[in-house]
Parts: sequence; C-alpha cells; structure tokens
Amino acid sequence: MLVATDLVKRYGTIQALDGFSLNVAAGEIVGLVGHNGAGKSTFVEIVSYLIRPDGGHVTIDGRPPSATRGEVGVAPQHIALYPSATVREHLELYGRLAGLRRAALREAVEDMSTMLRLGGIMDRRAGKLSGGQQRRTQAASALVHRPALLLLDEPTAGADLETRQAMLDVVKQRAGEGAAVVYTTHYLPELTELQATIAVARGGRVIARGTCEELLKDLPGEVRVTLADREEVSVSTSEPTVTLIDLLRRIDRPISAVDVRNPSLDDLYRSLAVHDAP
Amino acid sequence: MLLDSAPRDSTRPAGAPARTSRLLDAAYRIGALARHNATLRLRDPGQMISYIVMPMVLMLVLKPLYVRAVDGGAAQVATGLMVMFSVFAISLVGNSILSERTWRTWDRLRVSRAPAPELLVGKTLPLFVVMVVQQTVLLVYGCLAIGLPVPPNPVYVLLAIMVWAFALLAIGALLATVVRSHGELSVISDVGALTLSSLGGALVPLSIMPEWAQLAAHVSPGYWALSMMQAAVRGDAAGAVPSALVLLAIGLVAGAFAARRLARGWGRGGPM
Ligand SMILES: Nc1ncnc2c1ncn2[C@@H]1O[C@H](COP(=O)(O)OP(=O)(O)O)[C@@H](O)[C@H]1O
Ligand SMILES: [Mg+2]
Repeated sequence: MLVATDLVKRYGTIQALDGFSLNVAAGEIVGLVGHNGAGKSTFVEIVSYLIRPDGGHVTIDGRPPSATRGEVGVAPQHIALYPSATVREHLELYGRLAGLRRAALREAVEDMSTMLRLGGIMDRRAGKLSGGQQRRTQAASALVHRPALLLLDEPTAGADLETRQAMLDVVKQRAGEGAAVVYTTHYLPELTELQATIAVARGGRVIARGTCEELLKDLPGEVRVTLADREEVSVSTSEPTVTLIDLLRRIDRPISAVDVRNPSLDDLYRSLAVHDAP
Repeated sequence: MLLDSAPRDSTRPAGAPARTSRLLDAAYRIGALARHNATLRLRDPGQMISYIVMPMVLMLVLKPLYVRAVDGGAAQVATGLMVMFSVFAISLVGNSILSERTWRTWDRLRVSRAPAPELLVGKTLPLFVVMVVQQTVLLVYGCLAIGLPVPPNPVYVLLAIMVWAFALLAIGALLATVVRSHGELSVISDVGALTLSSLGGALVPLSIMPEWAQLAAHVSPGYWALSMMQAAVRGDAAGAVPSALVLLAIGLVAGAFAARRLARGWGRGGPM
C-alpha cells in the first residue's frame, strides 16, 4: 500500500530525512518510533504531500502522493482544530471535503462519534475541550471518510486513558477492515496491544524493522518480588509476565509486593545503539 | 482508495458527464468551506460590527464640518469614511487567513481533496461578502442619513464596491502571508489603513490638501478607491473605469503573490 524509498529531506543544514525507507502493507499497523527529531513527522508530511522530498520517492497504492491527495487520513502531531467550531462541525467539514453528502455524511459522522466516544461533546466547541477530547476530535476528522491509509502522528500524546483506549480500538478496527496504518508513539504497550510491526527511526532513517516479538525478544524487563521477610528476588527477563507467573508458582513463602517492569522503547533504542556500534 | 465499505455518495445523478460532475464536486467542496468560514466569521462579529457602526457615527458627527468646508461635503464625508473603514477591514481578512496558520488548520485543508484554488475561494468568499455588505450598508446609510445624493445607477456603485472589495481582499491576504504574528498584522493594517486612506483623501478632501500631498495621494489605493467610488456614485462610468483598472491591477498582483504563498502552505519555517 505505502512504499517509501530512500527519502531525503534537508532544512538548511539539518538533515531531517537521510535515506528513509518504509513499506506498509494493507491491513498492517506500523508503529513508527524513535526519539524526537528522528524524522517521523517529516516522513508523515511527505507522504501527505505537505512537503516535497529532496530525494527518494513514495507511492501510495502505486500512485505518487500528489495523486492521492484527500485519500489519506492524516492526524498531525500538533492539535489543529478551529477553536470556535464544534466537534460536529469539524467532522462535517472534513467529511464534505472528502465528498460525503447527506445520509452518507450523517452516517459517517455518527460512526466516528461512536467509535471515538465523542457522543457527549459533539456540540461543544473545540477550544473548550480537554486535551484528550481534542485528540479524539482530530483523529475522528482524519478518519471520517474511511481512508485506506492512515497517518497518525502521536495521536495519544498527552492523552488520558479513555482517549488512548478509543484510539487503539479505532485503529485496530480500521486495520481489520484493510487500512494500512502508520502510528507514531512513544509508548511501547500501545504497539503490543495493536499487534503492530515496529519501525525504529533514528537520524532520518529507519534503522530497525520487524514484529514486536522479533525486536523486543532480547530486551531486558524486570520482575521483582518482595517477600514478607523483606527478602527480594529480582529477575531480569524479556518476558516479565511469564517470569512472574513462574516465580509466584515456585515461591512458597508469603509475599508482600511484586513489581513488574516491562521493556520500554528506551530499552529498545539502547539495545539498537549497542548493536549499531562497530 | 477508500475502504470498501465506505459510505458512497448516492445522490449524484447517474450518467452525468465526468466534467460536469467534477465541477459539481468542486462547487460542493467550495460550498462546504465557505459555509464553515462564514460560521466562524459570524461567531466573532465584534470587529465587523465596529467597522460598520464607527463610520456611521463619525459620518453623522463630521458632516456639518464637511458641508461647510467643501462643495459636495455630504458626498465627501460619506464616501471618505466608507473607504477608510473598508480599508480597516483588511485586518479582518488578514486575521482570518493568518489564524489558519496559527491554528495549524491550513495544512489539514491542504491534505484534503480540495485543491489550492478551491481552498482560496472557499476561504475568501465569505470575507468578500462581508466587505461588500459593509460598504453597501455604509453607502445606503450615507444616502438615508447623511444626504449623499442617491446614485443614478446603483449597478455602477455595486461594481465599484466589488472591485474595491477584491483589491482589499488581495491586500489583506498578502499581508497575512508575510507577517509573523497577529500583533504584527494589526499594527501594519491599522497604521497602514489610517495613513493610506487619509493620504488618499478619505479624511480630509484632497482639494484642500497641499499640492505635494495631492501628488503623493496617487500611490495610495485609497485614492483610487475614493475617486472610483465618487465617480460611480455620480453615475459617471467613464470616470470610474481608470481607477477601477488600477485597483484591479493592484488586486491581481497582490492576489497572485498571496495565492502562491497560500497554496504552498506558507510560513512552515522554510524560506519564502
Ligand atoms: N520546518 C522545519 N524547518 C527546519 N527544521 C525542521 C523543520 N521540520 C523539521 N525539522 C527538523 O527535522 C528533524 C526531524 O524532525 P521531525 O520529523 O519533526 O522529527 P520527529 O517527528 O521524529 O520528532 C528535526 O531535527 C527537526 O528540527
Ligand atoms: Mg514528530
């Protein structure tokens, strides 16, 4: 669905993208991760035809981004809403711009309102919403026309639990229906829940690509069990839950606390830096 | 390239020729944008109202002075203040366009199916209407309350208003794409509006200004607007045409520059 090859983008002396390549298949969710400044948003902007690359090329469903304008669902990293327009007005505007009319428009708006849990706030102005509600409104207005390629740039940044869950649900549903999804985030658990494949960006290119299992396999998580007599058992493991269950089964003394630390994206970045080293 | 189960548009007449249906689609998108922008404008009516009420009050207060000072004083005070406050409306245009950048919403429109020309028309159409309404209301008020002679041919006046509104719209759009902030925009548009429109003879009749000022007036769009408007009000089409051409030229140049900047998503940090 999305094929990007060797993208290059410079801003003066800053090399925002430096040979960035990424393929996304229909129905696939790619978790695009990486430190700030890695080039994730620049990639999203090129695919959505907001900026032109200095090199490399992109096709979406076999066509260049110039030809797929309006067919991609883009939720930018920063909130971009009209403060004095209501949630409903946002959905209707973007729905109409995508060509939806009358019953089809009403249906699509209702659909988004349900899926992103906007029911109670449809007639509130965007400027008066909480951060999470604004995130959901923004995602809803990007998805209202049911695009087959979704570019969601940190859709859960600063979001509350409800927003995060709604976002994950809608992304899973759309991917299930065949949409290709690029999902940028700083939270690893979201990607495991989405069963996303992962692309790690650094310095303007993708330096690692694979499934969660492949990339997270050897990452150190940690399980710590504190016994009633204050003795501690701590195990470094890539599968903390399995290890914890195992430990609990084997320890036959009273336990006062357990602490599980799953591997994080930072662990992943660190492990990649180690692998990179000559 | 939408998902299969996408709600399809079933209202388009079957068998309409592709060209017609493309035009209808474009009109539909422009309509959606214009409606959206009109809604936003109406929710923030303060500036609009004050640019209509202030000149009304000023016309009333200043009329005796003008009538005593120059021949046709009533016409001068009505058209002069109408032109001056229509120039102030530039900030309305500018703010409304600049907001699309500060809210980051312009980029979201740019990724929609509507190409740049549609975005421009959908954005500016409601602003154009606002300016035409403002000027029309002020002239009608001038006739009813100030003693502006009723124009023998209202069509000329309406055409003049549309030409002037177009030039103002283009200048406002241009300003919006070169300033860095709303603050900067309001300084430039307020100071600029006051200077240019008074230099153009909107406040003090040119005939009683010093000779150098009468010459300098020619650089001000306000001068051309005023002379076009006064000719149109007199029913003097031939007298209005040259000024109208100057204003159209100004509008086209400013508009082309602004349109280029807007289509490229101006102000994203790169060079102009
Ligand atoms: N408009 C711009 N002007 C100058 N530099 C930019 C611009 N946009 C992005 N950059 C730079 O490009 C690099 C990549 O940025 P970005 O794509 O936003 O990274 P990410 O989204 O991964 O945090 C950063 O160093 C950033 O400062
Ligand atoms: Mg980013």
